[in-house]
Amino acid sequence: MHPFPFSTLVFFLCLALHVESTNTDTAREAAVHHFFTRNAPAVPESAHTNNWAVLVCASRYWFNYRHMANALGMYRTVKRLGIPDSNIILMLADDAACNSRNHFPGCVFANRGHALDLYGENIEVDYRGYEVTVENFIRLLTGRVEPSVPRSKRLLTDDRSNIFVYMTGHGGDEFLKFQDSEEISAFDIADAFEQMWQKKRYNEIFFMIDTCQANTMYSKFYSPNILATGSSQLGENSYSYENDEDVGVSVIDSYTHFVLEYLEGINKTGTTSMKDLFDNYDPVAIRSHPGVRSDLFHRPLEQTLITDFFGGVAHAEVITDRPTEHYSHTQGSSDAAIDPMEKDSRPVHELAEVLQTFSDGTGNPVTRLLRAWGSVSIIGLLIARAIFKTKR
Amino acid sequence: MSGRSRAVVRWSPWAGLQDKFTMSSSGIPLIGLVDRIRRRIRQLRPSGDIAARIRKRKKVAAAVGKYLDVLRLGLLATGCLWLLALPLSHLQSGTYIDENALQPSQVNTYWDWGDVHRADKFLQDVTSLLDRNLSSAERAVFFATEFAKSGIPSSTQRYSIPTARGVLNGTNAYAIFSAPRTSGTEAVVISASWKSLTGGYNLRGVSTVLSLATFMKHYSHWSKDIIFVISDSHLDGMHAWLSAYHTPTNPNQDVGPLSIASGVIWTALNIDYPGHSFSHLGVFREGLNGRLPNQDLINSFRVISQHTGGVPVLLYDHYEPSEFPGREQIRSFFPTWLPDWIREHEDVMEYGYRAKNILRHFVYQAKGRASGAHGLFHQYRIDAITLFAVPSNGPHGFHALGRTVESTLRTMNNLLERLHASFFFYIITTPSSFLKIGSYLPSVVLVAASLMFGGLGEWVKAGWVEVKDEYMPSEKEKVANATPNSPKKKWIARRRDLLDAFMVVVTSHLAGLSIFVVICGEWLDTTRLAYIITPMCWVTLVLFRFTLRPPPASANAAPLPVLLKAINMCLASTLISVTSVLNFSLAALLAITLGVPLSFSAPSRSLPVCVTKCAVYAVLAFGWLALSGEVTQAIWDWQVLGVWFAPLVCLIYVPFVLQAGVVSGLAP
Amino acid sequence: MTFEFALAVATRTVLAFSPLERLLQDDNQLSSPLTSYSRLQEGVYLFRHGIDPYAGGTFRHSPLSLSFFSTIVPASRIPPALLWTSLDAVGAWALVNIWRSRSNIQRSKRDLRIAAIYLLNPYIFLPCLALSTSTVETTLQLLTLMFASRGQSSLSLLTLAVLSHLSLPAILLLLPVLLLLLSDPLSHLASPKPFPQKLSKCVPLLVEFTVSFVTLALASTLVAGGWGWMRNTWGAGFLLPDLTPNPGLWWYFFTEMFDHFRPFFLAAFSLHLAIYVVPLCIKFQHDPLYASFLLLGILGTFKPYPTLSDPGLFLSFISLFPETYPYLRYPVVTALLHLHAFLLLPLFHHLWIGTGTGNANFFYASTLVFGLANGSALLDYVWAGLRVAIGEEKEGWVVTQE
Repeated sequence: MHPFPFSTLVFFLCLALHVESTNTDTAREAAVHHFFTRNAPAVPESAHTNNWAVLVCASRYWFNYRHMANALGMYRTVKRLGIPDSNIILMLADDAACNSRNHFPGCVFANRGHALDLYGENIEVDYRGYEVTVENFIRLLTGRVEPSVPRSKRLLTDDRSNIFVYMTGHGGDEFLKFQDSEEISAFDIADAFEQMWQKKRYNEIFFMIDTCQANTMYSKFYSPNILATGSSQLGENSYSYENDEDVGVSVIDSYTHFVLEYLEGINKTGTTSMKDLFDNYDPVAIRSHPGVRSDLFHRPLEQTLITDFFGGVAHAEVITDRPTEHYSHTQGSSDAAIDPMEKDSRPVHELAEVLQTFSDGTGNPVTRLLRAWGSVSIIGLLIARAIFKTKR
Repeated sequence: MSGRSRAVVRWSPWAGLQDKFTMSSSGIPLIGLVDRIRRRIRQLRPSGDIAARIRKRKKVAAAVGKYLDVLRLGLLATGCLWLLALPLSHLQSGTYIDENALQPSQVNTYWDWGDVHRADKFLQDVTSLLDRNLSSAERAVFFATEFAKSGIPSSTQRYSIPTARGVLNGTNAYAIFSAPRTSGTEAVVISASWKSLTGGYNLRGVSTVLSLATFMKHYSHWSKDIIFVISDSHLDGMHAWLSAYHTPTNPNQDVGPLSIASGVIWTALNIDYPGHSFSHLGVFREGLNGRLPNQDLINSFRVISQHTGGVPVLLYDHYEPSEFPGREQIRSFFPTWLPDWIREHEDVMEYGYRAKNILRHFVYQAKGRASGAHGLFHQYRIDAITLFAVPSNGPHGFHALGRTVESTLRTMNNLLERLHASFFFYIITTPSSFLKIGSYLPSVVLVAASLMFGGLGEWVKAGWVEVKDEYMPSEKEKVANATPNSPKKKWIARRRDLLDAFMVVVTSHLAGLSIFVVICGEWLDTTRLAYIITPMCWVTLVLFRFTLRPPPASANAAPLPVLLKAINMCLASTLISVTSVLNFSLAALLAITLGVPLSFSAPSRSLPVCVTKCAVYAVLAFGWLALSGEVTQAIWDWQVLGVWFAPLVCLIYVPFVLQAGVVSGLAP
Repeated sequence: MTFEFALAVATRTVLAFSPLERLLQDDNQLSSPLTSYSRLQEGVYLFRHGIDPYAGGTFRHSPLSLSFFSTIVPASRIPPALLWTSLDAVGAWALVNIWRSRSNIQRSKRDLRIAAIYLLNPYIFLPCLALSTSTVETTLQLLTLMFASRGQSSLSLLTLAVLSHLSLPAILLLLPVLLLLLSDPLSHLASPKPFPQKLSKCVPLLVEFTVSFVTLALASTLVAGGWGWMRNTWGAGFLLPDLTPNPGLWWYFFTEMFDHFRPFFLAAFSLHLAIYVVPLCIKFQHDPLYASFLLLGILGTFKPYPTLSDPGLFLSFISLFPETYPYLRYPVVTALLHLHAFLLLPLFHHLWIGTGTGNANFFYASTLVFGLANGSALLDYVWAGLRVAIGEEKEGWVVTQE
């Protein structure tokens, strides 16, 4: 027999079988999918498997008490709705609760009457005091942190993470001040988000900001899957909501107050959508015009749940193919960021050592004196020579 | 530098020499390159008609020369009118609070009727101290004991300051309450002097401080230590306490050391409550040598007093025209011969009210006098004001005062850094409006500019003189000129011999110095005549010395009066403009008292005019000596508190007026 | 003459022992971080106690000063006061000698006036009372020019080398000093002529200067025990590490500068100092002393860490050039600007540092007035120096600049 045609036949048969089998695979998957989703609500579920929150209070000092209260209020809410402390990065100057001016030491209140102490007992501030800088914030988002930074200070997200980013402080047209010493611009945040997208560090981002002219801060975003909202439009101030006469300062900002009030009515299984939240904005009560930007966001707002960002999901997923890709990817990029530093620092260090040995001032007193006299006598010789030459 | 420019030599500092060098074989090869660059630059530039440019420049210069007198008198008049216009409401802006951290009037106050009751009891004790006629040391011990009873570390300080009129003795009491939750590197002061600025006793002010000490001890929200000071007498006690606080090594033997101390003092509130109750709280702000506290302190206090304390605020004790009892006060500001319909007019009233406030401010600031015990703090970079409880039959008392002080302290407690540096230059015209530096400074600067123009004009006049020209114009030019018969003039340069002029300047300043030494002497009172005569001798001596001097030997030298006037005006202008940033009121005073007399000094050929002018200048220079009360006070201020006004008048004002007198006394 | 001179010096000696010194010693206008006596004392102290004074950022004096003050002159109270007074006296003497060389006479009536103008110049004697080492630099500058005027090349070049070690920008004087050594100090402003000598003649002089300079650098390294001193002394002029306020134009500019522009502007400012040398030397090749005088003015105005004595030296030099006076265009404006600056500098410094009612902008504004005053003097003397050559204006004629 001719083995060749036979083998060819077998090969084609196999090929045909293979194609057939893949076809049946997809068909089967579709059937399974249909089986699982037939009773589900019409809302397409978000594709995320974990939730993160980055809460930034960019102000410090006692008279900015309300910004601290804003961030702590958000912290309390996301924690209540199920994001664990390990997934919350809280950046806070934290100089309000234990300020000597505080009439209630160790407490931070967000409303008059002191009903609810936001500081409580279970607060985990990840970046505190002077650590709240623009550089640290950008490094946190993009993952370009030094190797010594502990896990609690890293945003360990992947392409299945939904991130809620909340910022508050004093700002203006396309900038937000960080602790009266530096500013972050709308472009900086937009570029950081783009870098995160390229590094597959998020699935979706919900960006919320409460500051003066806040809506300008998200106007520069260009990366996909970002939903953004802010407290006031260009040329508009954001005002504080109320003042507590015992604390002696304003305790919360108007916009954040109404958002928090709305979120109080939501629990972990709530089906309220983002649209409901945005529709609830009342420019008269808030005393500014909050804005929403959803053109980068691919899902309809009425089908996006608030809990997609504020709540925590506990989906576990078994990943079979290329199991370590994402991990190594992010890992690799952070290594790339750090390597040059290490490479640079070494020779500098060596040079410093060499210089140190060269210029030792710690000789014994006699040598030192001899050196001094030596140099004086050199000058003396020069002078003597010059005088001699002149006389001659 | 007039004269017709018939032709022009084209010349450039980058040109002339190279033309010569290109001929010679120079050792430097760069010349050729420079030459080429030069030619390139010349190509780039449009070649305008230089002669026309020069003519135009000369025309402008001639116009300036011609109208110089109009210009400088115009500037002088504008400056003076501007000063008069300062009370107009159009120039003013509303007060606001610049520092975010202050957050005034946003706290609940905890000062209640129990504390008022305690203050009343303290008042009884303090009144009995006065009745028993205790010595100042005994009083101070009583205060220190009362502080200690509240659990606050306290101590006393003795001082004795020698002056020309005897020694000032006294004892201060003070206590330092350390803020429980801070490191104690910063502090605020609450003080009351034993004597009120009205001259009476400040019994209720002292009781308030004692009661506040007990009250504040109960709260832990202080970020700064609180220092309570009850100073003896009116100003000298506080002066002794402050100088001891800020010179820990104590080089000055006159004041005793302080046994306890705290950190850097940021703010001070001085309480002055002479009556038995009050209707308004008045703010006194002027410090030594014209220093002012930061405006934020005053503005915050106003907000707090009105909203928390419920007490209206006044400047000094001047009632506003809208308030019923004040109308008489403001009407009396205008002369009685003005018809009533003018005096009663609303705008006139408003102007009068503001003018009154500004005037009082000017008097304090120009003299460098502190308007209350708070004024001693400013020299140590402490913002301080006096809260003056304007005596009245009611309705306010310890309750409103205590709440206001507590709330003001809470506001100052909020401070994280020094108040903004930009808020030290202002003139407050009403409790809620003020003049920004841009709207008041130009007045004085205009006067200074007028003097500077005058001085420069005189300088040019000294160097150039216009004489008739003997030169006969050529036929061509006769045709060109429309009026050929007009007499030709030309300018010739003169030598400026500055030495004589400088001698006059130096002599006059020495005369000023000698007057200063004389009036600072202890024998001033007994031989009053002597101090009038001595300077008069000087001035006559100087005047005669230079009046009898033969006229300048040659026409080529500038006459002395012109040179002297030039120097005099330039120096005065510099002085006025420099003073204006340091102490505006003083600069305004100098602008008026120097600007006007110096502008009109001129030599005269007629003897009577000359003598009259000299007499006027002599009166201007020495007339103030007749105000013996003011002189005594100024000398006291200088010797005890280091106020610059007395030396400044003697060493600056008198010599300048004397120089103007010499200018007028000399033969032209 | 000698008597009056002695009197003036004696008065200064008395003042040097008055309590003024303590008041003035740390004044920002009288001593910069590079010339402060307190810092010198600190450096000597560190050196004595075996700590490398150049390891920190406080000591920026030359190692030559270090060796001098740790060996010959103890840095206590009295010897420096005497030394500084005598330095000023030597400076005045040198100035008078330059005048004598320039006018080519042994003795003149002007001598005393010149010495008095130098010794009574507040910009000169206040830094001296504050024991600022800028007084040393001023004296060395005068000595350099005096030796150069007398044609004593070795001494002149050695003095210049020492001077450049103390304050590197002074090295810009090298070119005019070389020209001066090759020609004469007489006034040729009225009759400009090309430089009489071959430029190649200055090569041996240049070599001699380089040898002295390098030897001094070696001596410096010997006392400092390493090369670290260069960065702290010479480098300070280029890198401006210490932004303590001074009456110059650099500090405020670099206080406000964003860090990423710093290197560029540092380079621009440093180069800017150097670009004047060659043009001035070409233009005034007939009178190198005048070129040096103008360069002193440029250094006093634009130097990185000036004190009042740098412009003071320039102003004192004016007394050597009476032939230019008739051609100055606005001397009274310059004088008034200087008067304003002299009053405003301490006043605004006080408002900023003392009473706290002003801020840094106040002092900066006064330094701008001061810079303007120096600049106007400089420009006027450039004009006048060139204008002398044209002579008096004829009737009805005008000389103009194109």
